[in-house]
Amino acid sequence: MADAFVIETSGLRKHYGPGGQIEALRGLDLHVPPGSIHGFLGRNGAGKTTAIKVLLGMARPTSGEARVFGLPAHVQDASVEIRRRTGFVSDDNDLYDYMTVAEMIRFTSPFFPRWRRDLEERYLRKFELPLDRKVKALSRGMRTKLALLLALCRGAELLILDEPTSGLDPAMTEEVLQALVAHVAGEEMTVFFSSHQIAEVEQIADRVTIIDRGRAVVTGALDDLKESFRRVQLVFEGDAPDATFRTPGVARVRRKGRVLSVLSSAGAEALVDEARRLNPLSVDVAPVTLKEIFLETVTVEE
Amino acid sequence: MLWYKSWLETRWRFVIGLVLLMFSAASTVFTYPEVIKLISGMPNPDLSGALGRRVSETLALARDYRGYVWSQWFRQNLIQMWGIFAVLLGTGGLVSQASGGGAIFTLSLPASRNRLLGVRAATGLVEILVLAIVPPLLVPVFSTAIGESYAVSDALVHGACMFIAGTVFFSLAFLLSTVFSDVWRPALIVFCVAVAVGLSDLVLRDLPLVSVVRLMSGEAYFRTGTLPWPGLAASVVVSSALLYAASRNIARRDF
Repeated sequence: MADAFVIETSGLRKHYGPGGQIEALRGLDLHVPPGSIHGFLGRNGAGKTTAIKVLLGMARPTSGEARVFGLPAHVQDASVEIRRRTGFVSDDNDLYDYMTVAEMIRFTSPFFPRWRRDLEERYLRKFELPLDRKVKALSRGMRTKLALLLALCRGAELLILDEPTSGLDPAMTEEVLQALVAHVAGEEMTVFFSSHQIAEVEQIADRVTIIDRGRAVVTGALDDLKESFRRVQLVFEGDAPDATFRTPGVARVRRKGRVLSVLSSAGAEALVDEARRLNPLSVDVAPVTLKEIFLETVTVEE
Repeated sequence: MLWYKSWLETRWRFVIGLVLLMFSAASTVFTYPEVIKLISGMPNPDLSGALGRRVSETLALARDYRGYVWSQWFRQNLIQMWGIFAVLLGTGGLVSQASGGGAIFTLSLPASRNRLLGVRAATGLVEILVLAIVPPLLVPVFSTAIGESYAVSDALVHGACMFIAGTVFFSLAFLLSTVFSDVWRPALIVFCVAVAVGLSDLVLRDLPLVSVVRLMSGEAYFRTGTLPWPGLAASVVVSSALLYAASRNIARRDF
């Protein structure tokens, strides 16, 4: 039976430090369906890397469950199988400095029975990677390209990228993202990539989860989110009232002078009806961008 | 390919160790004619104290070529130099690489932590085995050049004793490398332990607990021709326990 989700976590918690004082994950629920490009958005320190490490068996959850391909990530044998079917690029392109590009490829490929020689040749040409150069002598952009090549050629069903464009200039970022999109278009695979760059998530993702302080605060298809999130702006004659709304989906209410701004995650119709009872001078409904959704939802958690 | 990676990570420590130990073997053999000339007319001094007894014994042993090789090289130079490289080859690994040395990439590969650690340990053990066997085998070869002879079997037995008993230090360094995130603390701690054990051996000659140095030098074999099986077996047990502890430590660790 095909799994409904490639990645699925429920109530995932991870505490670090003496006495578990640092709560990196605080009940993370994550559902990544197959075939999606799933953006995992969050501020620095929101728990993105920890979640990825748990998925790949590099860190064990304190409680809750994480499954990839339906396999429990905390079980060693299952974790090996997960990694056999997964390509991974870490945020700091953690490769072996003492190896050359050719040695890195020669070292990595035998671990993956479905290693794609055709892709290896294609990306070596495309990325213009010098085979005989040591990894330590590569620029950050070249390291990212090598890390991407090593992940893409695995013949993986799932690609996990932890802030893959971190530290790259805009041109290099664009090149990496384009390569990623072109690759996914030609292969049947799921991509789960973390970032705090909203623009790049918007550029390539079809689904998104926003994580804040170890919890998913928003999740869904990007188009659905943009469709369902609305900002309703009410202008009053005098100071805006300190109102509370009963309409479901109110994510955030801001009051500033004569203006009351309400962010709704469930459309605007019912909210507008309720808002009109406050007798505002005007009611405006506006769509919101992913950036606004991100900023509003992570701020709510503070 | 994990073997290849482990080899690349340790090859310089290994090669430098091998060259130095081979050089040490050669210099020990080729200085024998000078040494024997120097001490031939010298009476055996009667010195007191642990160190004095050791000096007297060394001088007495040096009058015979087999005794000279054992006391100068297997009991001193080889133990010290081999010990240093055994400890250095036991350090490093996943934990020290976690701060930017490729540990995350390694852990993203479809290989269990036991396999990663097992290959790393096995590579180190093979390297210290080579360091314990190859330089001693040069002694019989070089000996013919100065008109002496040294049995290959003796060289092999001493090398084997060095490896089996000395693996305790390698394993301790290996275990500590799963605790500390740098290569220096494990090395320094084991060096301190080794120095303490060596000094204890000088002073407390009858305490079996501290006789690992004598096991490493193959003293029982040199003096009586028999192998110290219980001591060697105990060393294997201790080393295995340390390596097992290292594997448990890595298994429960978060990266």
